[in-house]
Amino acid sequence: MQKLELQEVSSGYGTQEVIHKISLTMTEPSIYVVLGPNGAGKTTLFRTICGILKPFSGQAKLDDLDLFNSKEARRRTAYLSHLHALPEEMTVFNTLKYYADIEGGDVQHVLDLLNLNELRDKKFSSLSQGQKKRASIGKIFLRERDLYLLDEPTSNVDPKISKEIREQLIELSKNKFVLYSSHNLYEAREIGKYLIVIKNGELAFFDKIENVKTKQYRVGIKTLNSISKLLPESKFENGFYVLTVDSPKEIAGIVNNLSKQGAEIIEIRELDNPLQEFFEEG
Amino acid sequence: MSFWKVTMKRSVKLSKSYFAIGIMMTIYGIGLSNLMSIIPSDSANPAPIELSNSFPILSVALLSLSALFVSLPVIMLFVYDKNNGVLEYLLSTGLDQLDIFKGYVKASLALATYLLAFAITINTIIGLFLGTGLSLVASMAGLTFALGISEVLLVSVCMVAFSSLQRTPMGANQPLGVIIGIIPMFPALILPMVFPAYAVAIDLLIAAATLIASLALLFSYGRLILREKLLP
Repeated sequence: MQKLELQEVSSGYGTQEVIHKISLTMTEPSIYVVLGPNGAGKTTLFRTICGILKPFSGQAKLDDLDLFNSKEARRRTAYLSHLHALPEEMTVFNTLKYYADIEGGDVQHVLDLLNLNELRDKKFSSLSQGQKKRASIGKIFLRERDLYLLDEPTSNVDPKISKEIREQLIELSKNKFVLYSSHNLYEAREIGKYLIVIKNGELAFFDKIENVKTKQYRVGIKTLNSISKLLPESKFENGFYVLTVDSPKEIAGIVNNLSKQGAEIIEIRELDNPLQEFFEEG
Repeated sequence: MSFWKVTMKRSVKLSKSYFAIGIMMTIYGIGLSNLMSIIPSDSANPAPIELSNSFPILSVALLSLSALFVSLPVIMLFVYDKNNGVLEYLLSTGLDQLDIFKGYVKASLALATYLLAFAITINTIIGLFLGTGLSLVASMAGLTFALGISEVLLVSVCMVAFSSLQRTPMGANQPLGVIIGIIPMFPALILPMVFPAYAVAIDLLIAAATLIASLALLFSYGRLILREKLLP
C-alpha cells in the first residue's frame, strides 16, 4: 500500500458535525500518532475512516480504493476502539473465532503472535485488564490489513503489556499505515514518526514528530554535589536543578560545561514533553 | 457458523432462566388448550355458551407469549453487544446496520420457531389423543405459529429500535418494546371468549396485523436507525 488520502472530510453524529474538512495525505507506511484534547474528534475521525460513520462530505482513498464505498477497502482496514469489543461470556479462543467466522482469519496465528495460548480456554470475563486488552487487540490481527486505526490501544494496561503492544505495532508499521491515538505523550514520541493533531474537529498539525518545535524545554539535572553556584539560573525542585532552554541542543553544551567544572551528574531528565502544548487550549 | 446462529447460541447460554420460563408457559398453555377435553360435559344442563371450541384458542396467545419469553435474551444480547462495542466493531468489518439488526431478529425468530414447533407438536398429539376435533387442532397449530412468530418479530423489532433510539446507552427505553409488542396479545387473550364464534378469525386478524406492523418497522429500519445509534 502506498497512499492514504483524506480530502476535506467532515463527519459527525446525526446532524452534529464533529470533524470539519480534514485533509491528510500519508505516503509512508509508519506510525502516525493522533493527538488532541478529549472531544477533539479523534475517535470520530477513526470511525469515519473505517466506515462506521458515514461522512457528511469529503472523500477518502486507500491507494485507488474509495474508503467510504469500497468493500475491499473496508476489508483492508482494521479498527480497534478503546473498548474491548469482545463477547465477554466466551473463551478467548471463541471470542476470536466469533470474529474470524464473520470476517475470516486465523485464530491460532493470533494466539501464537500475541502469546495468548495459555489463555486460550479461559473465559474472557475472568481475565485481568491487561490480558483482556491483549485478547481484544488479537481481533485486528486475524487478517492482514493495510491500514490500522488504533484508539488508545495501551490505555489501562501495565507497562510490560504496553511495551509488548508497542513492539508489535512498530513491527507492523514497517509496511503498514498505523494511526494511533494516545494520551501518553512519551509513548507518542517513542513510537510515532508522524504527528497528527486534531483540535476542535480541525486538523491543527501534521508533520514528522522530529519537526515539532516547542517554545521552551524544561530540563532537570540531578547531581551528587551542589551546582547552584555553577547554574545560578536554575531552580532546585524535587531533587533536580531545573533550567529552561530554547532548544534541546543547548543541553549538551551546558552538561559539558558543568562536568568540566566538577559537577557530578547522575541524571538528566526532560521535565515537559514538547507534545504537551497540543493538549493545551487555544 | 453464521452470525445469527452464533447469536442464538450465545443468547441461550447467557440466560437459561428465560428459556425455563418459556417452557413452563408452554406446558401451562398446552394444559389450558386441552382442559375442556378432560372436563366431563353435563349433557343434561348444557352451558349457555359453547366453550369447547373457543376455550382452547386462548392457549394460542399463551403459547405465543412463551415463544416471546424464549426469544427475549436475544434482544438483551443486542443491548449488551451495543454497550460493550461489539456492534461498533461489526460495523467496522463492513456489515451495515440492517445486516446486524437482521442477525439478531433471525436469532430470536429461530429460538421462537424451535419452541413453537415443540409446543405445537406436543399440543397436537395430546389434542388428538384426547379426541379434540382435527380441524380445531389444525386451526390451533396454524394460529399458534402465525401469532407466535408475528408477535416475536414485532417485539424484537420494537425492542431493538427502542434500545437503538434511546439517547444514552444506559437508558431504559428497551422494555418499552416488550410493552408495545405485548399489546396485541391482550385482545388475543380476551376476544375469543367474548366472541367464541369468531375466535379463529380474531386471532388470524391479530396475527396478520402484528405481522404487517413488524414488517413495516423491519423494512424502515435502515432509514429509521442510524449507524451511530449502534455505537456504545
